[in-house]
Amino acid sequence: MRRAVAPLLIVTVALVLADSAVVTLALPDILVHLDASVGQVAWVLIAYNLVLGLAAVPAAMGFSRAQPRVFSAAGIAVFAGSSAVCAVADSIDVLIAARCFQAVGGALALIGCLELLVAAYGERRGVASWVTAGVVGTAFGPVVGGLLTQAISWQAIFVVQVPFAVLAVPAALAVRAVPVGVPDRHRPAVRANITLALMSAALTAALFLLVLLLVQGWGRSPATAAVTVSVVPLAAIAARPLARLLRPPPEVEVAVGCFLVAGGLVGLAIPPSASLAWTIAPQALVGLGLGLTVDQLTTRAMEMRLPRAHHAGWTIGARHLGVVIGLAILTPVFTADLRDAQVPAQQAITSLVLDAPLPPQDKIAVAEALGSELSAQAQQVPDLHRAFAKLDLDPAERPAAAQLERDLNAQVERAATRAFRDSFLIGAGLALLALVTLIPVGRRRPQ
Amino acid sequence: MTGLHRWVGLPVAAVLLVCGVVGVQLANGGGEYEPLRPADPCAARTVTSQAQGIDALTERLVLLGIDGAACRLHVSREAFTLELAQTDDPTDAQIDALRGGLKSAVMRMKADGTLPPASALVDESLDSTDLNDLVKRLIRALPDSSIDAALKTDDVLTRAVDDLDLRTVLANLDDQDALEQQIEVAVTGAVKASLEARIRDLV
Repeated sequence: MRRAVAPLLIVTVALVLADSAVVTLALPDILVHLDASVGQVAWVLIAYNLVLGLAAVPAAMGFSRAQPRVFSAAGIAVFAGSSAVCAVADSIDVLIAARCFQAVGGALALIGCLELLVAAYGERRGVASWVTAGVVGTAFGPVVGGLLTQAISWQAIFVVQVPFAVLAVPAALAVRAVPVGVPDRHRPAVRANITLALMSAALTAALFLLVLLLVQGWGRSPATAAVTVSVVPLAAIAARPLARLLRPPPEVEVAVGCFLVAGGLVGLAIPPSASLAWTIAPQALVGLGLGLTVDQLTTRAMEMRLPRAHHAGWTIGARHLGVVIGLAILTPVFTADLRDAQVPAQQAITSLVLDAPLPPQDKIAVAEALGSELSAQAQQVPDLHRAFAKLDLDPAERPAAAQLERDLNAQVERAATRAFRDSFLIGAGLALLALVTLIPVGRRRPQ
Repeated sequence: MTGLHRWVGLPVAAVLLVCGVVGVQLANGGGEYEPLRPADPCAARTVTSQAQGIDALTERLVLLGIDGAACRLHVSREAFTLELAQTDDPTDAQIDALRGGLKSAVMRMKADGTLPPASALVDESLDSTDLNDLVKRLIRALPDSSIDAALKTDDVLTRAVDDLDLRTVLANLDDQDALEQQIEVAVTGAVKASLEARIRDLV
């Protein structure tokens, strides 16, 4: 058991931070299963990040007066219990409420696990393993969530967390850590935390928008989307060897990371087609940027600052409020752009139907079937296949109708891709803003 | 590794990577991957049809007519088609534009020689009418030159477009029988009116 203690705590940290985006690919399923609106389902994501962001600093303040292992075990237990409630939630309100409790437990667990890992591994290795677990969890969260949703169900995302978290409770209680009780010696690292918040907002744009584009816009399965976005964590892992090879100063490393994320988001904004291949290189840039920035900034915000838990609280708060800011800025933009994309998409569809190589009566039948499907699927990227499946066409006309269906789907993909462009570019702007915060500000010398 | 290399190595690599990725995306049409843009409805367009005979003529006429109507209303033909499809009560301006567009389409097809002579449409027209069999046989026995001399396709179509209740036509688009009956009445009336006018001119 003793050997498993630290790995279980590391897994818990990764799980809590993975939960920030783990449900992204499950949102369409949750929307249908719990009969929720798009706005409600977005709160499954927002509520967790908002509560985690707001609870992190108070949790860190409370930590200095508590027994570390009891504090950690309580947090992990709340996280495990709330995850179980999420899995059995039968309404969107219950799910959102459970996500809020999950975030409170997560905040306590993250702060507690940091001290327990330091007690288990020592200062340097303990903090490094905590930071790395966070980066890995954040990067792999959407991938794992998508695969579980496709293979089993959206509930499986929460079910699989429970046994790990349950095992982590006795693991936390087994660590002999003494209460820290260090007075507040250092001010929070404001600049590093602001950069971290902006980068989190930009990375949210990359992961959240990309999975939505792949699943909703391009009609790919959650599993395909999950495998596709796995490029980001893989590239993030590759960033460390690259940094070791070139050995840049830390501030250069962070600045380059911000630039790479911005460049990757610009690449995602302008794919030449709806082929998954065109997302690979931009994702690799985002992943490299993620790998170069997040752990560096987190380490910088915490390094040599005491009490450690307080500064960990500030970084967790910055990261997750950054995610909320990202969602708050991007959600209205891309939902409005998706709404606005309906007109050019409908016009392109109309143009192709008018000019289709089909007899006039078949054109009218196609137009009627499309019209009723588009009305029924308002507010979402339409699935045109249902309209074509209803048609009773002469066998000789079916190849032309099949070609028309392919052409119309291509137009829908074009419209959806165009609708995400501005949001990706805003994400790139957030990454560049993060870069601006790194510019040293000169201080006036006293006369 | 020198101090300078440590400062510039990673930034240079990053700039090259970003420029390379964005450059390749742009070179392959990134940024232009957008839905089809509606064409200018006032520009001449070649329209084709998969149908034969009267159906083909009607389809070409309608497609060119929509172009003409959209051009009159300063909207795209796609926007005009969607507006008509999404309303149960088209405006007078839309109906007037559609009628004008259809008449212009007749003129354009006459000018470019794509309007078939009346004799080419007689057999198919007679098949769908409820005239007495003897009358049908008599008409079929007439030489094409006599039919073409008596009936001008453009004149018949223009009269039919004038007579058609376009609001009812639009409402009947999903009812094939009602649509055909309405068009048959209008075309028959137009044929009679055209023949009467011809006789009046001769007299």
